[in-house]
Amino acid sequence: MSFITSYCHLNNENCSVNGEIIAERDRESEDSWFKQLYKSQEFVYPKFYKMDTLSQSGYLLSEMIKRAQPSLITSYNDDEIAMLFANQFSSADSDLRFEKSYKEQGTPSPALFVYTLPNIVLGEIAILNKWYGENMFAVLPKFAPDFFVNYIDILMSAGTKAVLCGWLGITGEQVNVFVFLVEKEGLAGNEFNTGNLAQIAGPGLL
Amino acid sequence: MIYIGAEEIISPLGETAAKNFSAMAENRTGISLIPNAGFNKISVHLSKILSLPQESQFENLTASMLISVSGKIDKNVLSSAKTILIISSTKGELKDNMTDPFGQSVASLMARFELVNQPIVISNACVSGVLAINAARNFIAARLYEHAIVIGCDLISDFVVYGFQSLFAMSDEPCIPFDANRKGISLGEGCGAVVISNTVSIFKESPLKLLQGTSANDANHISGPSRTGEGLYRSVKKTMEINQISDNEIDFISAHGTGTIYNDEMESIAFDRLSLTDVPLNSFKGYFGHTLGAAGVIETAASIQMIRKEILVKSLGFSETGTSKVLNVITENKKAKLHTILKTASGFGGGNASLIIQKL
Repeated sequence: MSFITSYCHLNNENCSVNGEIIAERDRESEDSWFKQLYKSQEFVYPKFYKMDTLSQSGYLLSEMIKRAQPSLITSYNDDEIAMLFANQFSSADSDLRFEKSYKEQGTPSPALFVYTLPNIVLGEIAILNKWYGENMFAVLPKFAPDFFVNYIDILMSAGTKAVLCGWLGITGEQVNVFVFLVEKEGLAGNEFNTGNLAQIAGPGLL
Repeated sequence: MIYIGAEEIISPLGETAAKNFSAMAENRTGISLIPNAGFNKISVHLSKILSLPQESQFENLTASMLISVSGKIDKNVLSSAKTILIISSTKGELKDNMTDPFGQSVASLMARFELVNQPIVISNACVSGVLAINAARNFIAARLYEHAIVIGCDLISDFVVYGFQSLFAMSDEPCIPFDANRKGISLGEGCGAVVISNTVSIFKESPLKLLQGTSANDANHISGPSRTGEGLYRSVKKTMEINQISDNEIDFISAHGTGTIYNDEMESIAFDRLSLTDVPLNSFKGYFGHTLGAAGVIETAASIQMIRKEILVKSLGFSETGTSKVLNVITENKKAKLHTILKTASGFGGGNASLIIQKL
């Protein structure tokens, strides 16, 4: 058996950790919403500014998960933590920006091109944490609790002890991001199954 | 036991695995100089299928592939509730729909072929194909499905050509992986497929055995390979250990071998750390170019053909060692009975994946 030990939601208006809102967007701010979060949480990782929005969202929420559940950084070997992320539209936002660089701005931008793959966010999180575990990014028409439950069971039966998971719904101005951590030890009531996962994910995702 | 077979390849070299293998046995390449295909109208070397329709290329190619593959297996498998379709691709139908590169194509495949289960797209840069085959096996081993059809497909577009040009990663000659004079990649397009199943009788031609594969991240750089080959080393080591396969049992390595200075060097270091430098090795990129998300599936299908035909196909373009660790790169086609082969892949985002196939 395994357990959902921590989770974060990020939408256009606010960000919550384990169901508690920790930050609300200031529409008057000159900073982007993700930059507001980066500053208000006092994160220090200058590479954040180079990342695309997919990677920024993954970075921010994985850091929040680590704060909420420090066992993630203390209890596991570097290859025992896997990552399983998914979304509906792959890296569409970055793809559009890269296309603009050669169609409208005169030259293809290598700095944008390297983010035109949805799995780059997994690389960013792996680099920051020195995690050498299994990684997968899937593209699905909608958030599918079954997919996560089935594949995490598979990973856990092959040596993985914790899985950082995410649904990175970012398109244009719409933000619907959900990141959660599954571990082998946890509290009763938070068992990792499709029912609990669907409930924690909330109506915005299903 | 879990089986793999019914391999197919659509590439500039032909529209079946057999035709592709014949071309490879004659050491023909799909790469040619395509006029004005690069940014600022420069001509670039690509492995391009010249006969593709202008629109819906991804959907058309994957649909053609599903038709070919279903002819090589029991006709009831495709629309069975126990079958999953897994697609590996980086960019899908990007040319027609950049904001939703997979949604429409996958939905129409589902409707047209009456697929029961929602297909899964795996998009993990250049390791997508090997990862998809490993995922398929995992699903079957966990008894969630009995059969999986894995299709890898990626197309050449201005988008990817200009992107790799912007990174200065493209060779101005056909790519020559592992060679001292290598200058970068040649992009390719194509579609590969394999069927994975727990039931030997669904295959019209005898399948092979697919062992459990693994992946590992380099945790090093999003677009540059690790200097120590750490992720590739870890993935291959894990794959060999869980299957209790020793280095001297491996008869052939289908390496990733993109033809860039740093990737090929990284692979040589990883294979050296794994004591695999004596094993005959090639890169199929000299035949197909780098087909990105399709590469792992196309190259696995090509490797299966090599086992069936008992020929080690030379690594096209290679003539002089160009890596700090000397690999046993195949320089001439030769007859060989192959029993156990290793397929590896490495890519952007720090991904590395490996799998092992054995003759029954």
